[in-house]
Amino acid sequence: MPTAPPGTPLRLITGPIRSQIFRIALGALFFVGAAAASIAQPWLIGKLVDDAIVPRQAGSFALWIGVMLVLAAVHPALWISGYRQFYLADATARTGFVVTMAEHLNDAGPGVRGKVSTGEMINLTTDDAFHAGRTCGSIGHITNHLSMFGIGAVLVWTVSPLLGAVVVGGGIVTGFIAGPMLGRLQQRQLDYRVGLGGLTMRAADIVGGLRVLRGIGGDVLFAERYREQSAELRRIGYRVAGSNSWIYGLRQALPVTFLAGVTWVGALQALAGDISVGGLATAFAVSTMFVVVSGNLINSSIMLVQTWVAAKRIVAFLATRDDIDTGGDRRGATGELHDPDSGLAVEPGRLTVLVSAESAPAQAACERLARYRDSDARWGEFELSGLELDEVRRRVMLLSDEDYLFSGTLARTLRVDGDEALAAIETACAGDVYSSLGSSLDGEVAEGGRNLSGGQRQRLRLARAVAARPETLLAVEPTSAVDAHTESLIAARVAVAREGRTTLVATTSPLWLAHAERVAWMVDGKVHASGAHAELAADADYRRLTSHQEFA
Amino acid sequence: MTVTESPARLPVASRAEVRRAIVGIVAADRRRALLAAVLYVVAAGAGAALPILLGEVIDGIGTGWSATQVNLVCAALVGCVAVQFAFVRLGRAAGYRFGERAAARLRETVVGKVLSLPLHRIEQAGTGDLGTRTASDVNAVAQLLRETGPHVVTALIELTVLYAAAFVVNPVLGLCALLTAPLLVLNARRYLRGARDTFLEQRSAQSEAAEALAASAAGARTVASLRLQDERLAAGRERAEHLYDRLLRVLRLQMGFFPFLQGTNRLQVCVVALAAGLWYFGGGITIGTVVASIMITLRFSNPTNMVMTQINEFQQGGAALARIEGIILIDGEERTALPEGADIVLDEVTFGYGDGPDVLHGLSLHPRVGERLVVVGPSGAGKSTIARLLAGIDRPRSGSALLGGVPVCDIPVEELRKRIVLVTQEHYVFTASVRDNLVLAAPDADDRLLLDALRQVDADWVASLPEGLDTMLGDGHFALSVAEIQQLALARVVLADPDIVILDEATAGIDPGSAGNVEAALAAALTGRTVIAVAHQLQAARAADRIAVVEAGRIAELGAHDELLASGGVYAELWRTWRGA
Repeated sequence: MPTAPPGTPLRLITGPIRSQIFRIALGALFFVGAAAASIAQPWLIGKLVDDAIVPRQAGSFALWIGVMLVLAAVHPALWISGYRQFYLADATARTGFVVTMAEHLNDAGPGVRGKVSTGEMINLTTDDAFHAGRTCGSIGHITNHLSMFGIGAVLVWTVSPLLGAVVVGGGIVTGFIAGPMLGRLQQRQLDYRVGLGGLTMRAADIVGGLRVLRGIGGDVLFAERYREQSAELRRIGYRVAGSNSWIYGLRQALPVTFLAGVTWVGALQALAGDISVGGLATAFAVSTMFVVVSGNLINSSIMLVQTWVAAKRIVAFLATRDDIDTGGDRRGATGELHDPDSGLAVEPGRLTVLVSAESAPAQAACERLARYRDSDARWGEFELSGLELDEVRRRVMLLSDEDYLFSGTLARTLRVDGDEALAAIETACAGDVYSSLGSSLDGEVAEGGRNLSGGQRQRLRLARAVAARPETLLAVEPTSAVDAHTESLIAARVAVAREGRTTLVATTSPLWLAHAERVAWMVDGKVHASGAHAELAADADYRRLTSHQEFA
Repeated sequence: MTVTESPARLPVASRAEVRRAIVGIVAADRRRALLAAVLYVVAAGAGAALPILLGEVIDGIGTGWSATQVNLVCAALVGCVAVQFAFVRLGRAAGYRFGERAAARLRETVVGKVLSLPLHRIEQAGTGDLGTRTASDVNAVAQLLRETGPHVVTALIELTVLYAAAFVVNPVLGLCALLTAPLLVLNARRYLRGARDTFLEQRSAQSEAAEALAASAAGARTVASLRLQDERLAAGRERAEHLYDRLLRVLRLQMGFFPFLQGTNRLQVCVVALAAGLWYFGGGITIGTVVASIMITLRFSNPTNMVMTQINEFQQGGAALARIEGIILIDGEERTALPEGADIVLDEVTFGYGDGPDVLHGLSLHPRVGERLVVVGPSGAGKSTIARLLAGIDRPRSGSALLGGVPVCDIPVEELRKRIVLVTQEHYVFTASVRDNLVLAAPDADDRLLLDALRQVDADWVASLPEGLDTMLGDGHFALSVAEIQQLALARVVLADPDIVILDEATAGIDPGSAGNVEAALAAALTGRTVIAVAHQLQAARAADRIAVVEAGRIAELGAHDELLASGGVYAELWRTWRGA
């Protein structure tokens, strides 16, 4: 499947802007209108004082109060209309990222194994998608605040150019001082968050290993460790609180200082008769509102920083690639599967048992033959890596304990219905799975098979593989978690169900060996001997490994 | 049978209990809380003085003040700013410190409680719910205590002081400002009614989407092998659409809330301006009072919005606190019995899980002191249940499980684990060094003892670890194989050195080639101890002193290997099957 280039964080976050430009323009229009309606209030108060209250004009008093009432309705309407557009833009971006990541998981295939943990995947789809998807909204809010600032400055300018200059200068100074300070605060809080993450992990560790801690000891030790770490976090928290309080105090004090400056300059101007009482009121009111606006503006800017960090993480995830060469295009291979690395050969149409004292090399050989690792493995006359991957996946199936059970009904899990499903359940001796799910193929299997026991999960995975009826099935330790009686039933039934098809089972159990048409004995990762079970049993080491009789 | 994760059965605290908990949190550090509040009242007072002084200046100019007088008042105004800054800073610092201490106290209490939970509670609840409560719920409440709480409380103080200032400027105008308060209360109540479910649903839609993608990633190989790409993409799309839908609900909720909130703030200014203007026309107040009242009213909106938009966080924090208190309020166990000797016996026990049917039906089993007893039988026969009753995790419905003459369930956990240790196939590696992973079983053990224990379970891989016993294990560190993890667990048993060891499929994940060595090594290490091994395979049976065959919750046969083979019963049949004959 072709994949788009991973792109850059900038491309990622501007994507939703480019695709929703009309919505953003509309939202910005509403927000500029809302800013005008909002900052008009101080101007109206000035008018009310100068034109109606001071000269005691009942008519204009009613008029200005009326205009204020109208704006009291217009401003929220305009603001929420803008908010709605930006909210929708952000929601679209955020859910769009989730879909992009879902698509990428298919493109990267098993390549994501070991590169992204479950925790990271959850963070990517929740926090990171949320932060990275907030670009449009941040732009909207910044537009709103900057408009308020601009329009407000012009309004004060009309009252008095000097006051206008104080307002603009004060706003800029506040922005330049408070902005970087908040950046530093963010850094300190980051330290705190790292500490908090460590502590949360320790708590999770305690809960995860609670049975061990209670059953064998260590609870006192771990409680003490946790308390120490918690106390350390509290100390970091105190330090954050110290600097936090300075920054918070300054952030509040700076705009208020310039509010005091505006009042002082305005009062002297009013005393000199240069501006009216209403003009002074307007300047004071605008400055009061700027105290809030400057804070909001800084918050929106910080959000953009978080957006960038999240976008970088998503882009890094989108850059993961399949870890095998997917370029093969030949089709129609037939014959023996052969793995030169270990010397393992799987004869078509027969049941081969792979006997190995260690599970890991047996699993690795199967992974090479099932094309989950690049190797020189061959299928008949073809090199496996030169074959079309999709065809290999369709014809060769690997079954191991790593296989995952997705949430869904039993029928959906088995991917067949009715008698076929029941037959597969019968073959894998998974009748107890069927009955524990309400004796119905509509019974729900939870995510990861969490509502089943380990043994039940193993047999359900086997049933699913049997039901898929692949041309070749490579099964690694498919019955390691079942009792001897059940294992012997499964071995017999699988041998019958897969009669005439290619099957390889990696196990040392004599119960499987009893049905083997061919046995490969692997020592230190290489096939040491192969042949019939009875022939190999002449070797004492082989007997010790495969025959329960010699055990004592 | 392995017991599967059962649904959450941990209790949740009632409203009254949550209220008591909140009072308790504040009372535990009431001096600091009071200090923060007083500092904040002063800061807010200094802030509220600004519009009042503006009114004074305006009236002063009207009555012919000199520039000196104006400058003096304006200097006072700057002084107020300085006072506000100083007290905001001190108040914030005190508030944050209060929150920090409260958060630390809460999380330490919870973890302490979790570490002393009754054994059967731990088994019942599974680690999922308990994990959520100790991690995300504790963090949610801590965040509330550290950040949102102080912010909202200071906003409330600011509001109160501003209203007081409005009354000081003019009581009647102050009352006018309060006219719109009922609208706010109504709006907030309506919002909170919808907010709880809407935000919960949005969060769960988000988790579902995350879970679907995390499953696709965890099962990447299965997706490839069964060619589930289309299905997984469809699942991802479906969850994303669902999330979008839930986000729209949040938007709808906010659209019914924000405009009314903003409208109410603006309306409040109009009401005060109208009343002030009319009263001025009547000659009751000065123009300075008019302006001061309106300016104070303008200030209401910011703290009001702060409180109103954060109340739903208190709602959610309250729900999290209820779940945390649920754990804290679990009664501890009264375990006071002291056993004499190491004789363990199950006598006519019946047992079943929860309200379920009996799993064991009047089963009796008496392992001899120092013997090696292997319990075998088909899946679901009740083997693991026997192990749990012997280990004192569960209490039998009838009959008795006795150790040294007293019920196992009545022996204090600290005492019990010196006598009995149960090892299951669900092993756990702590995110800690190899040493710390082992030393928990024997706090005083030195490195020599630790290495010796590892050697006894055939764990020679320790020698090749990059930093030996200091090598960090667990998530994100050095990864051990399942077999190595099991050996680690067995080494803990050797270190703990109890009288009785119960092994429930403890070697199930070890390579077929080495399982035998591990078992033999362990058997040597545990010489003289009573060992009860539950197994679905028969590896260990032959070497055992006696074998108990469990079928359908009853002991079907009991005896030595040769005796049982000779009797030609269930075991003989199992043995024949297992040998592949």
